[in-house]
Amino acid sequence: MITAKNYDFDAIVVGSGITGGWAAKELTEKGLRVLVLERGRDLQHGTGYLGEHAPSWKIPFNGKPQRELEAENYEVQSKLHAFRTTNIQFWNNDKLNPYATDEGSEFQWFRGGVVGGRSLMWGRQTYRWSEEDFKANAKDGHGIPWPVSYDDIAPWYSYVEKFIGVNGRKEGLPQLPDGEFQKPMPWYAVEETIAERLKQNAPDVTLTNARTAILTEDLPGRSACHYCGPCENGCSTGSYFSSQSSTLPAARATNRMTLRPNSVVERLEYDEKTQRISKVHVIDSETLQRHSFSARVVFLCASTVGSTQLLLNSTSEAFPNGLANRSGVLGQNLMDHFLGLGTMGMFADNRDTYYYGNRPTGLYIPRFRNLPGQKEDLGFVRGYGYQTIINNSNWTGSFNQKGFGAGLKAKLAQLPNTWTFFAAGFGECLPNPQNRVYLSQKKDRYGMRQVAFEFNWGDNEKAMAKDIQAQGKRIVDASGSAFTMSFGDAESLSVPGSGIHEMGTARMGNDPSQSVLNKYNQAHDVPNLFVTDGSFMASSSCVNPSLTYMAFTARACDYAVKQLEAGVI
Amino acid sequence: MNRREFLQCAAVLVGSAGVSGHVLALSQTQMTYLASADDYVKMPATLFSSQQRAIVAAAAETIIPRTDTPGAIDAGVPHFIELMVQDWLNDEESSIFMSGLQNLETGIPAELGASYDKLSAEQQLSVLEALEAAASKSPWYAMGNVRRTFISDAPFICQLKELTIWGFFTSEAGVKQVLRYNPMPMKFDGHYPRKPGDTTWAPFATIR
Repeated sequence: MITAKNYDFDAIVVGSGITGGWAAKELTEKGLRVLVLERGRDLQHGTGYLGEHAPSWKIPFNGKPQRELEAENYEVQSKLHAFRTTNIQFWNNDKLNPYATDEGSEFQWFRGGVVGGRSLMWGRQTYRWSEEDFKANAKDGHGIPWPVSYDDIAPWYSYVEKFIGVNGRKEGLPQLPDGEFQKPMPWYAVEETIAERLKQNAPDVTLTNARTAILTEDLPGRSACHYCGPCENGCSTGSYFSSQSSTLPAARATNRMTLRPNSVVERLEYDEKTQRISKVHVIDSETLQRHSFSARVVFLCASTVGSTQLLLNSTSEAFPNGLANRSGVLGQNLMDHFLGLGTMGMFADNRDTYYYGNRPTGLYIPRFRNLPGQKEDLGFVRGYGYQTIINNSNWTGSFNQKGFGAGLKAKLAQLPNTWTFFAAGFGECLPNPQNRVYLSQKKDRYGMRQVAFEFNWGDNEKAMAKDIQAQGKRIVDASGSAFTMSFGDAESLSVPGSGIHEMGTARMGNDPSQSVLNKYNQAHDVPNLFVTDGSFMASSSCVNPSLTYMAFTARACDYAVKQLEAGVI
Repeated sequence: MNRREFLQCAAVLVGSAGVSGHVLALSQTQMTYLASADDYVKMPATLFSSQQRAIVAAAAETIIPRTDTPGAIDAGVPHFIELMVQDWLNDEESSIFMSGLQNLETGIPAELGASYDKLSAEQQLSVLEALEAAASKSPWYAMGNVRRTFISDAPFICQLKELTIWGFFTSEAGVKQVLRYNPMPMKFDGHYPRKPGDTTWAPFATIR
């Protein structure tokens, strides 16, 4: 019997985003009665996507940003390219829900503010980690060894990929293992030209489809992509994966999920007698009333920073430094990918072709540096990949030109004479205990201590940044670019957090004195606590992390339910 | 789901709550489905005098004239400019705009004997060209200086051009009759042929 009468629920999941949705689906499908607590407001799939398919002339100021409103309420969130008037309702209100931006060091924390969290506006890039990624810490001594190997997680990658729907092309590369792919999206003619030239001139580099959680084939309840373009406005056909389109409906279909929006988790209460979390304390953000709920097992899926903030705020006599923090490493080893560096090229090829439809993803150049067997000392460890896009030039890139009249009108509307190709590097960030999340003395409107950040890029990232620029130039030149230019500042790197791949802070490991979680995402110190968002990560690889979070979440749910069935939890 | 079903689906996803006055924010409490909202350019504007309206309309038409396709006036750009100056420009920016407008209203008649809107097309063009020549060192014209919200100290002529071009190429007429518009392509084709005279697709989102 995994259901028990003396608890309000069998399981409580904190967060309804990319991992919370998976925990809700897996646990309910395995028979548990699950309460999902979401800090943000309620939002319905479809009808909540208020800006979907809105033409420019319907949008306030025809799409120019709502400057006063954004400065007042979305000071951090509005810095993001995906933040728009057409999806403003998805984002965290920074004024209502702040973090301590005036202490520590600069860190941009992008957060959702509704059911579905950032799965609504994520970049949808979906890559497996490689065998080498899981071995890297043990090999070069940075961080602590991963307690999990590629073979452990590979079946869970497959399980997740089949459900979420990933389009991509198999390449047979050990550094970027193939997955369960739907048919890949087609390419621009000029991308094919570039790929052919790379085969000749830079055979160590592979140009492949960006593996993306957007359907090219229908799945139950979800339609193949209609190529309208701006996924981040929400997609009522469920063509891209979000918890709203996919996992939450699956959980709801079991009739065993209770989803409670506006539920800010204040504290996890630890019972010394049972050595378990006994209660989850919640403040209703609408009524400000307090509630508490009990369950046999608690899954934290509140995002890396959110979950760690909650644990740090959940102190008790047994855990004066934060729940499940006997190791003292909770909050440390915060990582983010650095980006914003790369190379653009202009191509005078394929000028007889244009394009039709808005392909909502690009191509990908998998890691090709520091691979096993490569002996060259590059002056840094680990590696990076490039995401590439074709920039569809139009008037928005040239409206500040001189001239007037019919000639100007024609120039602003005419087809471009060249194709512009951007290759943007995404670099792996090493775990470093100095990079951390900590609690400020400042409190939020609920009386909870806010988080602050301390984060600086290290020498390894800075050395890698230079290589990203140099190799980017080599690749774009080898592609036959008529004009090549680097972009980004390899000295300062991107603002930490702006990769939106914040991870670490409650890492997993075999040694309880050095890690918060065991290899099943279960807290070493608290057996009925699982943390499956990005906080468990012991290193960062260079690929986008969401697929890995989802696979570990599904695996942790499987383990937790077996433990419950065995009566161990 | 085909394209028609899709658009029907969009049409039923309509919230209620009207938009009134200057409250434009698509906020958490205004549950209006934007695709079914009124055009932004139908919002009321009361900033300009009728003389100023005539001048702004003539200047916008000088920048983007009607050819075999609609021009700025056809697309409602003069009213868009008034709305943006009234509701979107900050105090510093709107005072630059209003003094530039006043120059067209009073300075030009003193110099050329008629207000801007009464000048010949050639004279109108040369007035704007002179303004552009005087402003030519402004960073507004720097190549690639387009990935930003607005340049607060940009000269009047730059403001006028930016608002005209933005208003035009985001208007229904500009998008559908000058650019090409297809909100529901249903496929991606990277080998789509190009023909002489083709124009770009209307961008699905503007750069922030």
